[in-house]
Amino acid sequence: MVRRRQLASLLAGLVLAAVLGLIAYGLPAIDRALPSSEPVPAGRPYDVGGGVTLVPPAGALVDLTRTRPAADRGTAVFLLGAVRYAVTVAPFDGGLTAAADRLRARITATAGYQVTGAESTVATAGGVTGIQGGYTAPGRAGRYAVFLADEVAVEVTVSGTDLELADALPRIEAATGSIRRGDAS
Amino acid sequence: MTAVAGAPQRAGTAAPGRRRATRTSPVRPSGADTRLTLAQLPAFWVVVALIAAGAVTMGGVGWEFLTTYPAAFIVAAVLFALYAVPFWLFVSELDYLEREPPLLQAVAFAWGGLVATSVAIAGNTAVQDIIAKLGSPALAATWGPATAGPALEEITKTLGVVAIVLIARGQVNSVLDGVVYGALVGLGFQIVENVVFAMGAVAASGQGDAIGPVVTTFLLRGFLAGLWSHTLFGALAGAGIGYLVVRTDRRLRTRVGVAVMAVLGAWLSHFLWNAPILGDGFGNGAVAVLVVLLLKGLPPLLLVLLLIRSAHDREADYYVSQLVDLNDPEVVTPRELRALAAGSRRAGARWHARSRAGHQAYLAVRRLQRAQAQLAVAVSRAQLGAVSAAPGAAHLRGAVRRHRAEVLRQRAVLRRLGHPEAYAPADQPGPWRRTGGRIGLVVLAVAVVWAAVSALGGA
Repeated sequence: MVRRRQLASLLAGLVLAAVLGLIAYGLPAIDRALPSSEPVPAGRPYDVGGGVTLVPPAGALVDLTRTRPAADRGTAVFLLGAVRYAVTVAPFDGGLTAAADRLRARITATAGYQVTGAESTVATAGGVTGIQGGYTAPGRAGRYAVFLADEVAVEVTVSGTDLELADALPRIEAATGSIRRGDAS
Repeated sequence: MTAVAGAPQRAGTAAPGRRRATRTSPVRPSGADTRLTLAQLPAFWVVVALIAAGAVTMGGVGWEFLTTYPAAFIVAAVLFALYAVPFWLFVSELDYLEREPPLLQAVAFAWGGLVATSVAIAGNTAVQDIIAKLGSPALAATWGPATAGPALEEITKTLGVVAIVLIARGQVNSVLDGVVYGALVGLGFQIVENVVFAMGAVAASGQGDAIGPVVTTFLLRGFLAGLWSHTLFGALAGAGIGYLVVRTDRRLRTRVGVAVMAVLGAWLSHFLWNAPILGDGFGNGAVAVLVVLLLKGLPPLLLVLLLIRSAHDREADYYVSQLVDLNDPEVVTPRELRALAAGSRRAGARWHARSRAGHQAYLAVRRLQRAQAQLAVAVSRAQLGAVSAAPGAAHLRGAVRRHRAEVLRQRAVLRRLGHPEAYAPADQPGPWRRTGGRIGLVVLAVAVVWAAVSALGGA
């Protein structure tokens, strides 16, 4: 009788653990089995979120696990080979300098990441002005830019090896230049 | 004092034939079963292993926060730990008559804070990615939090109550017990999740190791969203598991159906909270957002409060009837029975004693009420032990004698102090007036916190 109760207890405990295991390991396994990126249509504006769009770099894939466009904010991550091009939109009530300070702080919060060189101003084709600069990370180089449009901050970060970055940068700069917000551009 | 003649129906004065507890058997006490100790139950060690695994995972997350943002993490951990105290006390006090063992309360809290969170983090990310891959990133951004979070988190939290049943079936003997364990699992989840969200806000702010985002998150998630969060959802799901376990007089199909409905109710409440429904329904002003918060949060809060009230009253009926059957006015009087059945009247009796005979009488009434409650539980278990001839029957009878002696000791103290009966005055406000007052206070508190958050610029 005691042994039967112990067996039942063991079985119930294992079922409990199995259900948790399905959630913790089964679902991520299904997720990994599905492709995590897909091509984006060439030459068409892509919704980043918060009313912001850009024309993605030619030949880029969109990272489906990181891209999340919502009504008031959003993120879009594009992949050009091993180069990662991320655009993040969020409400912001400060000035352009404060937005740049925040982005720099976030970049350098990661161990080994350092901002390099001087910053310069940049403008999109629609006339939205911003600040851009560069950074380094172990084995990688990066660029960043930040724009302010109608109380939203648009943060752009690009990272990859020097060689890959040099190859992809013209397409990325063209994409960054296409950033627009609603009708205000 | 006169001999007790009848048992309370809701609050103490109905005829025994009308007892709700007798009619519906909502409480199933269990006699002590010494055949298997906790350590001899394999399920106990499985639960211990799961909690240990969860502690390792969440400990790693916490360590990363601590090394990156030490001041913010410590402030967040301390603030939300303090925040948990009144919730824990309130939940523990719900089942005054038959309190849950501290070890099991701790297991429930640890399950919510360590097991359910670590499993849900992995599962939520995967489900949202799957939605993005099979649907679109926009679909995942809009509906992912409403789809993944409620489904997985309510399952993992409900499994915490199931775990308690597996390791201590005898301690879940009323729907209220399920509510208590479910709420504690939810509270553990809520506290750890809030700390994680606070640290996310710190990281997103780009201000380094700043405390401002922690305080804003504390006000937003602790107060504006805290009353109708995981503690509430967990209580609802726990009530279903309690019903499934306790109501063995009903068909299995019915019990399973009720349990499933309760978990679905928890899921629905959580889904509504996370869903973008009404996101822009009333505009963007502070009042409009407050209205949305109340519309989404108040219905499940009221539902669970009504559920708790019903479950509490049924359990009180049952345990009070155990004292009625003793038919001993030295142990309990009719007015004391009425006071014992409701938390507000218990408090009323204590304050009445203080006003008439001072602080010593207040303390003596508190000890008397505690001893009467323990005696009621011991009597119910001893009766079951006698019927089942369980090996621990002698121990149970000893507990009855011990608690009865304590009741008589406190009665003697009260008699010496000139206040022999621990009753609440009849002119106390009615339950609906009190409930209305509390809801009004909640609404006022939410409005004040909303104003504070708006002033901080966090809303």
